[in-house]
Amino acid sequence: MSERVFAFLLRLYPAAFREKYRDEALQLYRDRLQDETGTFLRARLYFDLLEDAAKGLPQAWRNSYAENPAPSLAPNAEGTPSFRMLEKEKLRPESIAIGSTLSLLALLAFGLLLSLPSPFRPLPNSGGPKSPIEAVLERLNRAPSPQTDGIATPASTPATTPAASGAIAARSQSGAAAIPVDAALKIDPAERDRVVKAVAGNLRAHYYDRDKAQNASAALLALEERGAYDAIVDGPDLAARLTSDIRSSTQDLHLIVEYSSRTLPAQPGPPSAAPSAAVLEQYREAMKQQNCTFEKVQILPNRIGYFKLNAFPDPEICGAEARASLQHLNQSDAIIFDLRDNGGGDPDMVAQMSAPLFNHPVPWFNPRANPSSTMLSPAPGSRLANKPVYILTSSLTLSGAEQFTYNLKMLKRATIVGENTGGSAHLGVFHRIDDHFGMGIVESPITNPYGRPDWELIGVAPDVKVPAADALATAEKLALEHRKK
Amino acid sequence: MPKRKLDPVPSAAFQILLALADAELHGYGIMRQVEEQSNGRIRLGPGTLYSSLQALLEEGIIEEVDRSSAANAGDDRRRCYRLTAAGRNLAHSEAEKLVDLVRIARAKKILRGEYV
Repeated sequence: MSERVFAFLLRLYPAAFREKYRDEALQLYRDRLQDETGTFLRARLYFDLLEDAAKGLPQAWRNSYAENPAPSLAPNAEGTPSFRMLEKEKLRPESIAIGSTLSLLALLAFGLLLSLPSPFRPLPNSGGPKSPIEAVLERLNRAPSPQTDGIATPASTPATTPAASGAIAARSQSGAAAIPVDAALKIDPAERDRVVKAVAGNLRAHYYDRDKAQNASAALLALEERGAYDAIVDGPDLAARLTSDIRSSTQDLHLIVEYSSRTLPAQPGPPSAAPSAAVLEQYREAMKQQNCTFEKVQILPNRIGYFKLNAFPDPEICGAEARASLQHLNQSDAIIFDLRDNGGGDPDMVAQMSAPLFNHPVPWFNPRANPSSTMLSPAPGSRLANKPVYILTSSLTLSGAEQFTYNLKMLKRATIVGENTGGSAHLGVFHRIDDHFGMGIVESPITNPYGRPDWELIGVAPDVKVPAADALATAEKLALEHRKK
Repeated sequence: MPKRKLDPVPSAAFQILLALADAELHGYGIMRQVEEQSNGRIRLGPGTLYSSLQALLEEGIIEEVDRSSAANAGDDRRRCYRLTAAGRNLAHSEAEKLVDLVRIARAKKILRGEYV
């Protein structure tokens, strides 16, 4: 093997190695060449060199060839500690790659954690049951849009507000565009004391039955005196407990204390006047597009009239439509009102829809009016007065739709088929206590002409209990059976 | 923490440590000393020799001798090396490991005789 071949072998080593040791390695090769003569020794030398390349190359590539190898300070052979200097070395490419990758991963993980919902902070619009106040606040926070805001009727006065908690909506509508979310549900003893005293005070000031108000208020303060509320630290818990206590004192289910996790509007304005012409026009347009929410008006086989309505809209706008629909049903032998998707509406429309079903005046219950008990006059020209009426209900049947169902059931004018209704009357007037607490108080006596509890909280029970999905088929069968009799 | 290149100590590196135990030597001298102390069994080629030397230098086990003080200062192309204190410690502990192995071999009747 010539020196050139060996020099070529050396080129396989790292540049730093060659720079430092090339000359010495060549010198060593020459020395051995000089010392080891003869065929056997030469052959052994060449073999050694090949073997050496195999063994030495990996080691040569593992070395770092730092400029100044770490020198030992305080050399001591006795085994006492010696100190090493840490030398500055250039970062190796793999170190940079590993470092960059780890940093990137950490950054991604951090970003991911930030985007995850925190378990300690309820997110707005995160679903779950909402209290009536929260539902109202959500509506207020939405961009004003009559199409989404009032399917039933434009919000005007408590008597004509659309669905549940109409009075609350009217009283608290102060035009706050965005209401800050305060996630902390905790209350401190001072707030608890303030809320209890305010609930007692509001009851005395506003509840129509002065004696009951005095008693309930005194009972509440006595409970607080005894420390009954001391253990309550959550706003919703306190609201629920106070609601339960004032209801048990007054025996009135229409009283309610509510907690809102959102800050309530600061200055509830007076009930807004009649809606502006523009809002009315938008509402009229929306009702026209939706056919007044009258989804189906048709005569089913066997001359059964079927009327599916998803609201009781403002009679000023949809009165003519309603009359036309009922007239269309005059030719049927029985009539089915499908209220399974009806969330309520205008009590005047409820009355107008009911009138054609009677041929004599009947006592009429409207808990949102004062007085709440009146007489309903029959509608002239109706041929429905003697025909059997069926009302289809579900748990989504609410408010005004429950009034319709309840009254006709109490008057024994309709057979209710389906599920228990939602139990939403919300008759109280809203009183703000502080940023998070408010209460609903019935300010005038509610006279129920039927002498029975209304549907607040308990709903209207069906006469024929079937799943909502089966209600129509069941009612059709009942109508047929009735005709055969 | 830097990767330990000499744990365990390769046999070539240990031979170099032993060769430098009682003398300061240059590369070729080390090669000859290793060949001699191993009864000709181990002949370090230049690749193995110098890459091992470099590794030992980097770990602070050996150091280059200042050329002005070197015995053969006339030959300026060759570097001479000697053990550092750490190198002496390393050689000592490595030898003790071997002694332990020998003791075990003897206990297991693999190795007989009073001495090695």
